[in-house]
Amino acid sequence: MKIPEEIAGLLRLNSSRKAAAYLATAGLQGNPNLLAAPLTDVHQDEFVLLPDLFAQKTKVNLNENLRGAISLELPEDEGGWVLEGPCNIFQWGHPDAFRWKGLTAGEVLGRWGNWAGLEDLEALPDGLRPVVVAQRGVIALQVETVKKIGGK
Amino acid sequence: MALLTTRMKNWLEGTGAHIGTASTEGIPTVIVAAKASFDNSNTVVFDLSARQIDHIRKNVESNPQVALGPGGLGSIRAAYQFKGTGRIEGSRLKVAIEEIYSTKPGPEAGLRLDTLPFESVLRFEKTRWQDDGPPASV
Repeated sequence: MKIPEEIAGLLRLNSSRKAAAYLATAGLQGNPNLLAAPLTDVHQDEFVLLPDLFAQKTKVNLNENLRGAISLELPEDEGGWVLEGPCNIFQWGHPDAFRWKGLTAGEVLGRWGNWAGLEDLEALPDGLRPVVVAQRGVIALQVETVKKIGGK
Repeated sequence: MALLTTRMKNWLEGTGAHIGTASTEGIPTVIVAAKASFDNSNTVVFDLSARQIDHIRKNVESNPQVALGPGGLGSIRAAYQFKGTGRIEGSRLKVAIEEIYSTKPGPEAGLRLDTLPFESVLRFEKTRWQDDGPPASV
């Protein structure tokens, strides 16, 4: 589905978002894991992309279970958005022709495979700035559903 | 049960958490709770809206595994992930924390903290962060 613009705007490169989004994945046994995702972009209005900076548990989960959910919080205790759908990693080493959901590894890695060339990672706040930028690939989530889950 | 430090509790209480759950088939989802409190030293409590409870009830009742990441500024400055067992009581989700991981980018990402001696965890925090929780304005 097309990601609503009010959400896509928060997920595009260099957005003004003040907090990290999170990517939830799970193993086939249902063990959930969260990955803080301060760096994100939107592609073709339906994919959320983020760099795989050695997200080890996320990779283990996606190797067996290609599903994910991304959360974005709303201000003033209003809960958050959750974007759910199939999820995969395009990894350096995949042939350019490797294809998933209409995307190819050549296209994705060619454009997002070196995130440091897209955003100034030195400008990231301490605590999020990678000590060493070693990008293993690009995680992509194809958004199937978007829900606003209001808080108290 | 894992023992949380004062800093961990202060960040969770002050900035809430993103709460990850999954179905028994492994379909993950995540909600955002802006505040948290503690029942005891390692059970964190979230007061949730009816919509939030509806969204996670089936998952938690069939598969109580829960993952928590600090919200707001905590997603940047409190680089922890907590995992535990959740149960829903009325409008509350209670999570007994059993595992604590560092998510600080770099070689310490994924380091399991709750298996270290508690003094080592305190030393780990002290040498990496100056604060004892979120600033008062958060």
